[in-house]
Amino acid sequence: MTTAAELASYASSFPSFRNRIINGDMRIAQRGTSAVTVNGSYPVDRFPTTHASDGAFSAQQVTDAPAGFTNSVKYTVTTADASIGATQILLFRQFIEGNDFADLGWGTANAKTVTLSFWVRSSVTGTFGGSIGNNANDRYYSYSYNISSTDTWEYKTITIVGDTSGTWLTDTGIGARIYFGLTAGADRVQAAGSWQTTAGFIASATGQVQLLETLNATWYITGVQLEEGTVGTPFEHRPIGTELALCQRYYQQGPLTAFPTVIGSSSTYFATNFRFATPMRSTPSSTFFAPSSGNSGKIEQWGGTEHTVSSVNFGSNNSGIPQVEGIQYVIISSAITVSVSLGASIKLNSEL
Amino acid sequence: MYKLNDVDVFSGKVECVKNLETSQIIPFDPANTDYQEYLRFLAEGGQPLPADDDEQTTE
Repeated sequence: MTTAAELASYASSFPSFRNRIINGDMRIAQRGTSAVTVNGSYPVDRFPTTHASDGAFSAQQVTDAPAGFTNSVKYTVTTADASIGATQILLFRQFIEGNDFADLGWGTANAKTVTLSFWVRSSVTGTFGGSIGNNANDRYYSYSYNISSTDTWEYKTITIVGDTSGTWLTDTGIGARIYFGLTAGADRVQAAGSWQTTAGFIASATGQVQLLETLNATWYITGVQLEEGTVGTPFEHRPIGTELALCQRYYQQGPLTAFPTVIGSSSTYFATNFRFATPMRSTPSSTFFAPSSGNSGKIEQWGGTEHTVSSVNFGSNNSGIPQVEGIQYVIISSAITVSVSLGASIKLNSEL
Repeated sequence: MYKLNDVDVFSGKVECVKNLETSQIIPFDPANTDYQEYLRFLAEGGQPLPADDDEQTTE
């Protein structure tokens, strides 16, 4: 029989929202599930790829996953680079917002220890690595882990003592940079296991397998969790709607429909009360697409006429919390009248 | 390549810039990473195209 005390103990051992990583189970892919192949692209939400090499890769959300998960991200080397240069890299990463990292007290004497855990598999065995760093790129801790069996899911945990030095942002900027190295040249690695002051960005640990050297090599990851404490607890499975909302603080897309009220002296301005699905971290970049043609930079008038979008003005809330909540007005390059309806699909980006 | 947008009639200032390759409108918000990329473009000597008022409606 389970006692109340035991239940309380269990609950306190696995508190909700202990995972500082968003979309760690790789389920959310708002931008689509087609393979991505270029630097800066997102195979799933919140996890872009950083790439600079003479090789090539593809990265994609897939359904190959360990028990308890439905998705992972799979990398495949599509063009090998036999000689990795000093600054060449292929990385999977997530930047954690300072607001969600501040309580760990990094950069102070009270810095808390964290544990990074994840599931990984690869067609190449050996030592892999990654790093955690600050916004200024002058404090980095590199970690390493070993993949011992080919094409087999393995669970890894890495415990990292909190950094008592350096500047760690606690606002809407980058609170911490989390990197997983698939390839990292000599200038992008350091010895694993200690905090170091660096002259620039460090991606991984010395001895890192260079996945890009092997054509058709694969690397998968899921179940990424970063939490306070010295042990990796079971992955925190959050409701899909909650996880999506967490992602939408940084990127969202959707339809805009307006029956514009012409404002000011120009008929190229129209007001809208388009409200974001979730308030965003900062004023987002926006891309409009005409629904019928898919043309970018366009908003479509009923009947098919497309207008070029010139400018967008966003509105913030008044609560003092730094976030942006919706579109107030849009400027287009050609006149409209109050009698027409307008529509577009919009992609909004406020990633770190 | 970037192009400055028109002066906002309400604020009287240029509020954003457009990435002509992607049609993405980038606000002048220091926290926006696309704006940070634009600042790097300027720091490396890049110059945006000036704003103009002659974009036409397409059908």
